[in-house]
Amino acid sequence: MFDLLVEYISTQRIRLDRDRIKKKAVYHDPCNYGRKSEALFGHGYFHEPRWILNQCLEHWTDMQPNRARQYCCGGGGGLMLTPYEEQRKYYSRRKIEQIKNSRAELVVVPCHSCHGHIRAMLDAQGPASIEVKYLWEVVAEALVMD
Amino acid sequence: MNSTEVLSHTDLSGPGGGGNPAQICLGCGTCASACPMTGIEGFDPRRIVRLGQLGRFEELGESSLAWLCTMCGRCQEGCPMDVRITDMIREARDLGGEKTVPQAIGKGIEMFMETGNNLGLPDEDFGFIVEDVAEELTEEPGFEDFVLPVDKEDARLLFTLHNKLVNTQNEDLKHWWKILHAAGESWTLPGSRWEGVNWGFFSGQDQVLKAGVDTIVGNMERLRSRGLMYPE
Repeated sequence: MFDLLVEYISTQRIRLDRDRIKKKAVYHDPCNYGRKSEALFGHGYFHEPRWILNQCLEHWTDMQPNRARQYCCGGGGGLMLTPYEEQRKYYSRRKIEQIKNSRAELVVVPCHSCHGHIRAMLDAQGPASIEVKYLWEVVAEALVMD
Repeated sequence: MNSTEVLSHTDLSGPGGGGNPAQICLGCGTCASACPMTGIEGFDPRRIVRLGQLGRFEELGESSLAWLCTMCGRCQEGCPMDVRITDMIREARDLGGEKTVPQAIGKGIEMFMETGNNLGLPDEDFGFIVEDVAEELTEEPGFEDFVLPVDKEDARLLFTLHNKLVNTQNEDLKHWWKILHAAGESWTLPGSRWEGVNWGFFSGQDQVLKAGVDTIVGNMERLRSRGLMYPE
């Protein structure tokens, strides 16, 4: 998915406008694409999504800690699908703190599970006004169509 | 001697084959410090490793430890001995048996094995939903000539879908479709067995994991797709 987006952008098969999204964004590394991919396949997708974001927006930042040391959102395995909903919510307080500390108004994630979980956690305990978007949603919004 | 060499010198029985990796734990507690779940209702990765050391995987699978863990892998990222804690969790979940799998995941797996998707959505309804969203997309400027490729043969990419996109979050189908359209990509959605979410990964059941992979490979063979786009 990252490779495909990088291919489209770097070969100019798609063109992007960096001025459309004005909100300050923050990027979240999903465990499976980052830390676990690095451990299992020898390559963690840390650089590619950040390069893609640079092509799509002017203002974005990283959470602390990030990349291989990033905190899990708490949704791994699907929070709403286990009987431990309350415990997983408590676990996610760290993710909410990271997001708040970044002062971002938009969280960008490249994972369906993280997207659903972070949205639910912001609604439940964080500022619900913070938006959550997929990385490919941000790309789609920046698309220039002739 | 690095940790892999230590492992190869460790000849102890245990699940996973080639010895029980938990045996090489030094008890340093790095995993416990790294884990955001530590302390929540007595959760501690060291308890997981200890049960592994004692070979009590079945007991681990039946305890709340196995499902409180999000399998994020932060514990083993810091582990100086490379103890594969998330592999142990996955194995334990399988050994815990079907009764310990959370109901919603168990139900989804049952549906997947029966119908090819976790929702149990009939192909006819799936077709109706995606065509409806595709029609909506043609109303947006720049996408007037968008045509949804379903079961197109010899495409470069076969796309799987997360079931929530055809369930409650239909609008989110459009982002990738827009990008693919703008790039002039040769791609296709399978009209049947389109599920991209493989809950066998979470439940620890390898036969479910394999059934999910077989579904995708089957579609790629049927449609002679050259590549796979698997956004889950």
